[in-house]
Parts: sequence; C-alpha cells; structure tokens
Amino acid sequence: MKALKEKPDERLLIEAAQRDPARFAELYEDNFERVYAYIARRVYVRVDVEDLTAEVFHQALAKIGQFEWRGAPFAAWLYRIAANAITDRWQRAAREKGTPLADDPADPHGEISPEEIDRRALLFRNVAGLPAEQRRVIEMRFAEEKSIAEIARELKRSAGAIKQLQFRGIQTLREHWTKKPRKKLGGPNA
Amino acid sequence: MPNHTQIEQLDRIVERVLGRSGARPSQAKALRLPAAKLAPVVELIGALRDLPRAEFKDRLRKNLERRATMASTAKAAPEFRATLTPYLSIRGAAAAIEFYKKAFGATELMRLMQPDGRLGHAQLDIGGALIMLADEFPEYGFRGPESMGGSPVRLHLDVPDVDAFARQATAAGAKIVRPIADQFYGDRSGQLIDPFGYTWTVTTRKEELTTEEMQRRLNELSEQPGSRSAPAPAKYIREGFHSITPYLVIPKAGQLIDFMKTAFGAEEHFRIKRPAGDLIMHAEVKIGDSMIELADANAQFPAAPATLILRVDDVDAAFRRATEAGATVIEPVANQESGARGGVILDESGNRWNISKSAEGDVVFKDYRTVTPHFNPVRAPAMIEFLQKAFGGEEVYRAQSPDGVVHYAQVRIGDSVIGMSEPHGPYQQRPGTLHLYVPDADAVYERALRAGATSIQPVADQPYGDRGGGVTDPFGNRWFIATHTRDVAP
Repeated sequence: MKALKEKPDERLLIEAAQRDPARFAELYEDNFERVYAYIARRVYVRVDVEDLTAEVFHQALAKIGQFEWRGAPFAAWLYRIAANAITDRWQRAAREKGTPLADDPADPHGEISPEEIDRRALLFRNVAGLPAEQRRVIEMRFAEEKSIAEIARELKRSAGAIKQLQFRGIQTLREHWTKKPRKKLGGPNA
Repeated sequence: MPNHTQIEQLDRIVERVLGRSGARPSQAKALRLPAAKLAPVVELIGALRDLPRAEFKDRLRKNLERRATMASTAKAAPEFRATLTPYLSIRGAAAAIEFYKKAFGATELMRLMQPDGRLGHAQLDIGGALIMLADEFPEYGFRGPESMGGSPVRLHLDVPDVDAFARQATAAGAKIVRPIADQFYGDRSGQLIDPFGYTWTVTTRKEELTTEEMQRRLNELSEQPGSRSAPAPAKYIREGFHSITPYLVIPKAGQLIDFMKTAFGAEEHFRIKRPAGDLIMHAEVKIGDSMIELADANAQFPAAPATLILRVDDVDAAFRRATEAGATVIEPVANQESGARGGVILDESGNRWNISKSAEGDVVFKDYRTVTPHFNPVRAPAMIEFLQKAFGGEEVYRAQSPDGVVHYAQVRIGDSVIGMSEPHGPYQQRPGTLHLYVPDADAVYERALRAGATSIQPVADQPYGDRGGGVTDPFGNRWFIATHTRDVAP
C-alpha cells in the first residue's frame, strides 16, 4: 500500500512542472485523491464533484507558474483553488435560479481538517492497491454505485461471490483505515 | 474464511449506508451488532461513498496531459527563470510618475533623489506590472526618447479592459497612435504614446488561439485585396526626416535647388509654388542621408540663410563643382590641424557651406549627417542652455579656451546634432530656421516659451500631416516644432 505522505521533493516536482508543464502529471498523481476527497466533503452530487475536480486541476496547470513556494504543501494551494471554485459555482447556481445569495454553502462536517482529507485520500488510494477482483467490486459498488445483482451480472459471478469479494475488500481496507483524528478541544471558535 | 452471516451482515450495512434502504449511517446501530466494533466499518463505508471512479481519474489525467503538452510546445521550457523589468529614461521623470499615476493608475513604490535634484530611481506598479524609471543621465549615456528621437522599444501592457484603460490614458494626455481594435491574434489592442515619448501597446486578450490559428488568420488577412498586413509604424518623425532638418528661407530658392543638384547630387523630393509667380512656397531635397527644406523668403519670413556642414568623400571635387555652379569661395580647401580637409563656399542664396571630410577615426564629428546645421551665437553657453531647457538638448562636446570663448560645441537633440562656435572672422551670428520633430509638439512648444522663446504660431494640426507650431529663440533662430501624426500623400 502506498503511503500518502508529503514527498520531501514536492518542491522539486513543482519547479519541474513550472519549467515544463508536462511534468504536472506527477503532481496530479500525488494530489488527485486529496482534491477529490476535499470537494466530495462539500459537494454531494458525483458529477459536480468530478466537474469541480477537473476544474481545479485545469486551473492549477494553467496557474502553476504563479505558484510560489512558501513552505506550505502544494495541496493547500489546490484546496484554495477548490474552495473558490465551489463558491463560484454555488453563487452562479444561486443567480441562475434567481434565489438571493445566502452565505457560502454550509459545510455540515464543519471545517475539514487536512488530516481528515489525507485519511480519506489514503483510503481511495488503498482501493487501487487491492487485489484486482476485490478492487473491481469495490469500485463498481461504491464509485459506480451498482447493486450486487448488477455487478454479478456484469462480472458473470454469483451474488454470493460478489458479496464475498466486497467483504474481503472492506476487511483489507479496514486494516489500513487509520483512527479518526480527534477533534480539537475548545470552544466553537477555538 | 468469513462466515456467511458476516458477509451478509456487511452487505446490509453497505446497503444502508449507500442509502438504498433509506437508512443514514447514524442509524446503522439498528443492526444488531456492538456499536464500538461497528462504528469504524460504518465510517469506512461512508467514506467509500465518495470513492472516485477510476475511469474519471484516468480521463482527467489524459486531458491534463494533452493541455500540458500543448503548453510545453507553445513555449520551450526556459533553462532558468528570470524577471525582466523595463527601465525608462525620462526627461522629467517626476512629471512622468504623476502622468503614469493619472493615466495608467500606477502606484509609486519608491523614489530616490540625487543630491543635484534629479530623480535617481523610482519604481511604479501598474496593475501588478513593475516599471523602473529615472531622469536622464547623459553623462552615463542614459537618455530618453525626447533626446534620442524616440524609443525603439515598445512597452506591451496587458490590462483587463483596454478600452477603459485607453480612455483614462488619453484623458490624462496620452495620444492614440493606433486606435483600439480587435486584432487577428485574439487580442483587442491599440497603441498610445505618452507625453515623454514612450509608446505603449495596450491589450486585452479576447480569445485563446493556437499559433497555427493566428498564422491562418494572418494569411487570410494578407490575401484580402487592399489590406495592409502591418499597420503603419508609430513614429512622430516623418518618413525620411530626422529630429532636426535645416529649413532654408532664402531668395532664389529654385536656383538653389538646381545648385544643390549640380554641386552636391541633391534629389528633389517635393516642390510647391506660391499661387502667383515662380516663388517656391515649400520644397524638400535630400543630400545623402539628410533632408533639407527650403522656401523663398517673403515679407512674413525674411531671408535667413544658413551655415551648413556638408560631409563628402571627395572634398576637392565637391568644392570644384560648387564653384563652377556659381558659388563664391570663402576659404579654399585646405588640410586642418585636426587632420580634416575642407573649405567653405557661399552660394548665391547666401548660405555658407563648409564642405569637409573628417580625419580618419574622428570622434567629435561622428554623429554628423551628410548635412548638419551650424550656428555662430555670440554666447554659445546661453544657447546651449536654451536648447537643453526647451528641447531636451544634450551638450555632447565643448571646446572652450581659458578666456571663455567657445570654439566649438555640439548639442544633440533627438537623433540629430547641431554644431556651434562663437563668432569669429567672417562667421558672425546670423539666425537660422530649423524644423524639429518631437514626440509631443504641444509640450515642447510650451517648454520653449518658458525657456525664453517667443511664439511665431501656436501649435495646430497642419494639413500636411504634422501637428506643429513655431517659436523664435532668444538668439533669433526660428524653430518649427512638430509631431508627425499621419502620412499625407503629397
């Protein structure tokens, strides 16, 4: 299983991408799950999550030359682009509907910590590291939102066999599912 | 091996978390399992609801790669990162800062003053773009457009709204050189010239185009009949002219043209006669690289013959042709102390011609054109000071004896120089007439008046494509100050 750690050479990757946009691919690989997880925590419709994720990376590629290394992880910059993109989209939607602008869409989970995002991103990446059959079933079941019957039909296996692969996949993922980061103590504004 | 019950149980949790059975994750405790053991699984499954589709991740990667490849081929990756900042030399840098603030919304970031009062360095921010500027420092070869006769460098400024930007700039005194218009390369842009002689291309991107698309549109544009693929270059000096052109107001102008043709190989470019009679109202001839304008003297403009230095390769031949064509010898051809060879003649209109050739490796006269005007002011330093104040002239050379007599001085104005020496022998002060091209005739006219000149005619648009006016300097010389604004067919 791949660890989802800050690469010590992230700065080098950024500088490489600034010199040659073709090198952006590595930054994408390192950050795709994070950005997706970040957006998915704020937007609930899958097509919107995908749209926004695409928008964030396209913007990041276009603006990579403007990125200035100040020691913060590259992901923080991507989250900022994502937050703006989400707000823009929400405001546009509100205008089109003719509804008066309220505040930013409320985040029902409260401020999402980067640790929580990393935890989820690692989970997504671990799915990709599962044995092929388990991986396929987990992806179809959750990402493609298919029923056991549909998956069984498509993979030409019994419903029981699919459920067993699902069980094994989740068991494996659970071994690597880290403890939830503890909420910070203190008042609401702490 | 997991038992059948566990497998089924887990799938029920999945069903509920996925919302198919209408249950929310928090309600999963309805399942008959110890909550502590179940909670992490429910949470994990909840997180899996957000699992991205592998197909989406792959597709986005490919899209980004395509874009990135286009971007890297569009600009070859530079080996190093550099910043490039224009550093403007401006006569009157402090005034320029005020202008840029008003016209371009610039912010002054810093300013350093020299002990002598000149602005040594300043930095401005124009919408995030940095420019640096300072007063002219001719002693370091740091000269601005007004001294150099324009700047070969254009400043290209990207702004969010080029039309609004140009309106504000022109209201503050910038002049439109090329109107704001949509361009084939996807920009909406135009050109402005500021009162200090810098040309700005201001632009707003309207369309993102590939280089191929730009080339295609350019080709189409060039194929259209009557189209001009390149707009007229921005310049305030008329084609074929320089900053300074001698204007000979003399009797027998027609005869003088013939003389210049015969003796010096002049080419006649233009001639217009007065309505009645044969008198020339205005003519233009060219000798070598130099234009000379001339007109018959009249009541309004009495004769003011000039002293002209004529550089030729064969002094003796030119001198002989001149005398054969009717000129009078003032000084026969001789070798000078400096190594130059030359002689002086007087033509029948009263102009003095110093026909000469510099010594090999001469530096003092290196900036002389084929024809350069020369003056004999009684007090050369006063005239130099006037030229500095009024026209941004720069003293480039002065030979002065201990008794204070200026034997020779040279002043640069724009791309041209003029020479002067205090009166001696046959060379007594006599005023001449000059045509001077500057970036902003209005401003220079005003400056000339402040420096002590008197007006002959205020600045106005002229039918021949110049905006200009005239002044007489304190030494009696007439200056026609002009900015070329458009080309007019003769």
